Amino acid sequence: MTSKLKLCIMAGGVSVLALGATPAFATGTAAGSSISNVATVGYSVGGVPQSGVTSNTSTFTVDRKIDLLVTEPGNSTFSVTPGQSGAYTTFRVTNLGNATMDFKLTVAQLAGGTAPHTGTDSFDVTGVSLFVDTNGNGTYEAGTDTAITFLDEIAQDTFRTVFVVANVPVAATNGQIAALSLTAQAEAGGTAGTEGAVLTNDSGTANTAGIDNVFADAAGTDDIVRDGRSSARDDYTVTAPVLTVTKQSRIVSDLINGTTNPKYIPGATVEYCIIVANSGTSAANSVAIADTLPIQTTGDTTYGLFQGGTVTAGVCNLDGTAGGTITATAVNGSLGTLAAGTTRSIYFRVTIN
Amino acid sequence: MRAGGKLILLLITLLMPSLAWAADKVALTSAVFVEKQTVDSDGRAHVALQTPKMVTPGDRLVFILRYQNQGIAPARQFTVTNPLPSAVSYEGTADDAALVSVDGGQNWGSLPTLRVKEDDGRWRSARPDEVTHIRWTLAQPLQAGATGKLSFRGTVR
Repeated sequence: MTSKLKLCIMAGGVSVLALGATPAFATGTAAGSSISNVATVGYSVGGVPQSGVTSNTSTFTVDRKIDLLVTEPGNSTFSVTPGQSGAYTTFRVTNLGNATMDFKLTVAQLAGGTAPHTGTDSFDVTGVSLFVDTNGNGTYEAGTDTAITFLDEIAQDTFRTVFVVANVPVAATNGQIAALSLTAQAEAGGTAGTEGAVLTNDSGTANTAGIDNVFADAAGTDDIVRDGRSSARDDYTVTAPVLTVTKQSRIVSDLINGTTNPKYIPGATVEYCIIVANSGTSAANSVAIADTLPIQTTGDTTYGLFQGGTVTAGVCNLDGTAGGTITATAVNGSLGTLAAGTTRSIYFRVTIN
Repeated sequence: MRAGGKLILLLITLLMPSLAWAADKVALTSAVFVEKQTVDSDGRAHVALQTPKMVTPGDRLVFILRYQNQGIAPARQFTVTNPLPSAVSYEGTADDAALVSVDGGQNWGSLPTLRVKEDDGRWRSARPDEVTHIRWTLAQPLQAGATGKLSFRGTVR
């Protein structure tokens, strides 16, 4: 009889233990939890066991520990091209506290200074907006991910991926860097779809028996320790083509000397080669060359125009293919896509009037 | 035999509670404090025990049990048992004679002697955070009117 009773009690104790071991306590006992302690005493008097005595219950409430972390998980710059829209940097916002929180999000662009990855901040992006990674795949998808100004109802020990989406001005040049910071600030959770009030730190103020707010966050890149905020930086780096154009000419022949030591005299044939070099870090598309011929010359429409010729040590190899248009007074050629680090030419002939 | 007597006494107690309490009574109170570190103007750290009003996970707690024999006869086999609140991780007690349990009060011993069965069937030494109960048994009878204090530490999970 007695042993059965004991077994029942033990079974109860085991089940309570199992509850206590659930992952709910992964980052700490939830704010508002009540911790109660009770002890019992058993004793005997004159050899007779006495009934047990139970102590009072000492109880307190676990306060709200506010701890959050903003990180830049990719740890690399985001390459953009001038005029690019929807360029995004990636951040992760994690709730390390013991309560469900809202986090207010703000983006600030650096005004000069060292960029987070390498180099110096030298321009600002435009049209900055924030999106949360709705489907959790870590990649920004317009139309799928949701525009936000705050993170709603982030449970303890969970994170959200946040994208800062912006446009790159057309005027941005190769190698320029736009650095920015994302700051998350703790706000009261509890109501889905509603941004809670910014929380204040109750440390150092009078303790209350209710739920106090205790800031426990570390300093981020743009905030200080225990301020209820966390921040990190990321940057965009512009990769753009850098084109240089040079025009060369050489005398081919004249009407008196032929091709032997020809001179620049009326009636002589002159060959022009226009060289386009891309020293930037990305390809230039649809490279077109327009040239108005000097009035003292006439375009050689019989020879024609050649495009896509290679260049060795600044010398045209005259290995292009016929194309484009040449008239008596103007030339219009195309080099198509000019990959980063490559040089191509167009060439044609004119006659001195 | 003892357990049987206890049950009988329990029944008697249920029938005549006031009588049993009046005869031989002990008192037991439980209190909990939180350890807070403060740094004074000279930069020295001080640890103070405070009423637990501002407590967050990771904070260190001190539980204090005070007892008194308010009866007229010595109390023998005086045993105080304290199940740990599930949100508290056991840190230890200054009393070497205290026994703990890691299985809800089924088996008792000093912590180094207790084993826990892993999911793969192997046994390993129990960790402090697995303690579920702590128990003290006074070696000597508690004389009438005598008082005492027990304490243990824990942290908020």
